[in-house]
Amino acid sequence: MSRDKDFKEFYESSLKPDLEIIDRERRKVNTRIITIIAFTAVAISLEIILIPSEAEMLKGIIPFLTGFAGLVVTGVVSKDYRKEYKNKIIARISGFLDEKLIYTPGGSVSFQDFLKSEIFPLRCDQFKGEDHFRGKIGRTDIEFSEVTAKHKNTSHNGSNQKDEYITIFKGLFIIADFNKHFKTHTLVLPDTAEKLFGKFGQTLQSVGTGKRKLVRLENPEFEKEFCVYGEDQVEARYILTPSLMERILAYRKKWDSRISLSFCDSKVYIAINMNKNLFETRLFKPLTDYDFIEENLRFLILITEIVEDLNLNTRIWTKD
Amino acid sequence: MLYLILAIIVFAFLVIIILYNSLIRKKNDVENAFASVDVMLKKRYDLIPALVDAVKGYMNYEKDLLKEITELRVRALSDNLTGEERVKIENKIRKDLADILVAVENYPDLKANQNFLKLQGAINETEEQLAASRRAYNAAVTVFNNAVEVFPSNVMASMMKYERKTLFDIPESEKVKPDISPLS
Repeated sequence: MSRDKDFKEFYESSLKPDLEIIDRERRKVNTRIITIIAFTAVAISLEIILIPSEAEMLKGIIPFLTGFAGLVVTGVVSKDYRKEYKNKIIARISGFLDEKLIYTPGGSVSFQDFLKSEIFPLRCDQFKGEDHFRGKIGRTDIEFSEVTAKHKNTSHNGSNQKDEYITIFKGLFIIADFNKHFKTHTLVLPDTAEKLFGKFGQTLQSVGTGKRKLVRLENPEFEKEFCVYGEDQVEARYILTPSLMERILAYRKKWDSRISLSFCDSKVYIAINMNKNLFETRLFKPLTDYDFIEENLRFLILITEIVEDLNLNTRIWTKD
Repeated sequence: MLYLILAIIVFAFLVIIILYNSLIRKKNDVENAFASVDVMLKKRYDLIPALVDAVKGYMNYEKDLLKEITELRVRALSDNLTGEERVKIENKIRKDLADILVAVENYPDLKANQNFLKLQGAINETEEQLAASRRAYNAAVTVFNNAVEVFPSNVMASMMKYERKTLFDIPESEKVKPDISPLS
């Protein structure tokens, strides 16, 4: 394929010289980190040996704090190196794919947009995002970033209050302009109930979520994978045409992951669960490895292909 | 013993109320969905004169087609139509609309006309909304038909003289699967 060949050339001529410089930095950082780990390990061992066993509290807290400090210092030491890799390498891979795609390593899709999608029913108390991309593919505006959202669960045990953070979403969050106008909100969520309980699951789903009612669609495979809730039965079907249902199914298979979609304000919000941290550098292996660098491009292609996959550039309706 | 009989009576009464209400709700859903099909059909009728006006100055070889669709619209709007006749007319209108939009390909000036493009967008939108409302109607009818046929609600349904309702035929063109081969 020509894009593969072009990227190989781009890698050799443009990325590799910079990667070699960054890789020298990696080796330095690597040595520093190994030294920090060694020092931290020695310090923890000494603390355990030297702190008298009567001071039980200290024996637990001090080694813990030392370990934590070691971790923080490791992060600080490698921060510039990670930043340089993202600014010099990932930004240029993004430019190679599409010049109009703007990459902000520390940016994120907005918390308001995340909330507006209403994909996750649990209240979000902690929201973090990185690796934000924004651009226009054909006639479709698109933005996406990695997102981690957590819910704070507070439990009371007598007078003690314990806060625990539960991850409600970790993965990629994509926002794309949809090709049709619509007024109501439609949710397409992974169908856990029907997969687990079959027909009984369907009954469970029909309870609905507040103002949204279950929308039963005629594609059995789609119904098995997803559960649709909409405020308007007709508009939900206007969005989810038989063709779009097939496309969403294919897109889900492509990612082989849990995917949720929300259609609101004439936009589509897509949450793809993922444990892998994308667009990150590595410390203990050389960076000048073509496959490692090319993987970033493959992920970017996979994400941006959503526009083609869901046929978002087709504008045969009244929306420009 | 008396309590047991009373409990059975109350229980039976509750079941009857639940079945009755649920059937009424399902019937209303069907009527509601049918009304939304009607709304979309009216939107389609409103667009036909505008379309005929926009294309008649350009199209020389499709005069008969334009005349036919105008007549069909008048017939569709008349009140004395049986259900079957109406379905036939709607199908014919859909086919004629599609034919006109295909014929536009032969007239580059028309294809470049901004007003026509807007109108074409509105027609595509209405056709897809119409398809969506038909599908919503079919979904509501399927739920209603299940209730009419499944025990114990079928007993109540026959007492209420509810009968199975007929589904809309979804045209083949709306069932066509998209070409998503590049994905695999």
